[in-house]
Amino acid sequence: MGQHPFDISYVFEYFIRLLPSLRITLYIVGSSIAFGLIVGLLVALPQLYRVPVLQRLARIYISFFRGTPILIQLFLFYYGLPELLKLIHIDVSKTPTLFFVILTYSLHSGAYISEVIRGAVTAVDRGQVEAAYAMGMNGYQAFIRIVMPQALAISIPVFANVVLGNLKDTSLAFTLGILEITGRAQTIGALSQRFIEIYLSLALLYFIICFVLERLFFRLERRLLRFEQSAEAEQRLRRVEGSIFGRATSAAKLRNKEARL
Amino acid sequence: MIQLKQIKKSFGRHQVLKGIDLQVEKGQVVAILGPSGSGKTTLLRCINFLERPSDGEIEIGGITVQCKRPSKSDIHTLRKQSAMVFQQYNLFRHKTALENVMEGLVVVQKIPKEEARERSIALLKKVGLENKLDAYPSQLSGGQQQRVGIARALALNPKVILLDEPTSSLDPELVGEVLSVIRKIAKEGITMIIVTHEMAFAQDVASHIIFMDDGVVVEQGSPVELFNSPKEERTRQFLKRYTPDGVYSI
Ligand SMILES: Nc1ncnc2c1ncn2[C@@H]1O[C@H](COP(=O)(O)OP(=O)(O)O)[C@@H](O)[C@H]1O
Ligand SMILES: [Mg+2]
Repeated sequence: MGQHPFDISYVFEYFIRLLPSLRITLYIVGSSIAFGLIVGLLVALPQLYRVPVLQRLARIYISFFRGTPILIQLFLFYYGLPELLKLIHIDVSKTPTLFFVILTYSLHSGAYISEVIRGAVTAVDRGQVEAAYAMGMNGYQAFIRIVMPQALAISIPVFANVVLGNLKDTSLAFTLGILEITGRAQTIGALSQRFIEIYLSLALLYFIICFVLERLFFRLERRLLRFEQSAEAEQRLRRVEGSIFGRATSAAKLRNKEARL
Repeated sequence: MIQLKQIKKSFGRHQVLKGIDLQVEKGQVVAILGPSGSGKTTLLRCINFLERPSDGEIEIGGITVQCKRPSKSDIHTLRKQSAMVFQQYNLFRHKTALENVMEGLVVVQKIPKEEARERSIALLKKVGLENKLDAYPSQLSGGQQQRVGIARALALNPKVILLDEPTSSLDPELVGEVLSVIRKIAKEGITMIIVTHEMAFAQDVASHIIFMDDGVVVEQGSPVELFNSPKEERTRQFLKRYTPDGVYSI
């Protein structure tokens, strides 16, 4: 525990001091999700199209990255890869540590993203693909025009989980000496001995980013899924209209009755 | 114009189509009847290669494909000869009614967007949906969705439209609107092969009736011949199950 009594004003001060390091955290998240999307697609395709050997390899790849702790993956790539490359006479001793970190997080999120893609594509009903084929589209057209837009919309909530998970996982990059927000927080903590204050501001920072990302993903999902959601809105509208019309017709009947009387 | 020769199809060891011969002339409406599981859907799906026949020969409008070893381009060319209307509509859910109809024109036939749009609007008008152009499938009733499906098929200007039980997923009160659209396009001389359980409709609209059972064509002929004096016992049994008021047990 720190030697100083708790003082909330430090929470705000440290929060501000953490902000510059946020750039590195977001840089790791952004680039590893971007590469992860490419990797994920490449790993998902052989499974979707049942390519014999590649399908197997894809499963092994996914099992490895989902089944081992990311901390160990970080160490394996950071210490192991240079040794491996030395065997084929490639020297990576001058490569920045950040490269290995982004590589690991890309491959890691790629494994999860491939599962997201696979699930979303399988969720688009087969009948629509058949309709596309029946009208003369080829496989590529059917995928790009019919399957992908719907799969994208379906996948947003799960994809959001992957991104948020990735954000939190970047807090382990400090173990390799990367000064992203967690790394920065540890340095500040060690120097100031105000551990509660610094970790409170760190938690607050993670929470705010997550919150903003969640909102963004939610809006994106609503936008992409408007072809399904509008149905509910429409139904509600129709129900409202129905009740108004119902009343209007009974009123009309009443008037008719009066007229006959 | 359409000729099927000895179409066979097996799923694993189960032979579902046991050599079907069928001929359809231009402008004819052919109704296929038969009990559930007799292979009607499979036959329709073989005609556009959604199911690959194990053997036989398919000819539509001068394009002939040997089913044993079809090339990719054979299948592609053959598919463009026909259009299909599905039992479950199978509309593209992320596209509006108008976009559903335009899709094939723009993507497959490469027609300029504006022209495709005008043609599609005209077709949606024809099926009575001119005020639903911008509705998504999820905002349409089953009957409306199926009418979009019919407009989408018509748009491709195919040699033949294949309809697989177009009304059997519909609530009874919605069946009429779809049947009357089909009746209307039949009068325009569009060639159709339609699988249906609507006996009265088949009798009224079809120029030729095919009765299938257990993967073979048991009997065929004009509606009058088939409904009034069926020759085969199996046909008689099948027709008997359809009570006069249209309630049936399949
Ligand atoms: N994809 C498939 N795999 C295996 N069996 C199938 C498949 N599709 C249809 N069948 C079988 O083929 C037979 C005919 O089915 P179908 O053509 O759908 O009949 P119908 O449309 O006349 O009811 C049924 O016994 C069905 O179980
Ligand atoms: Mg069927």
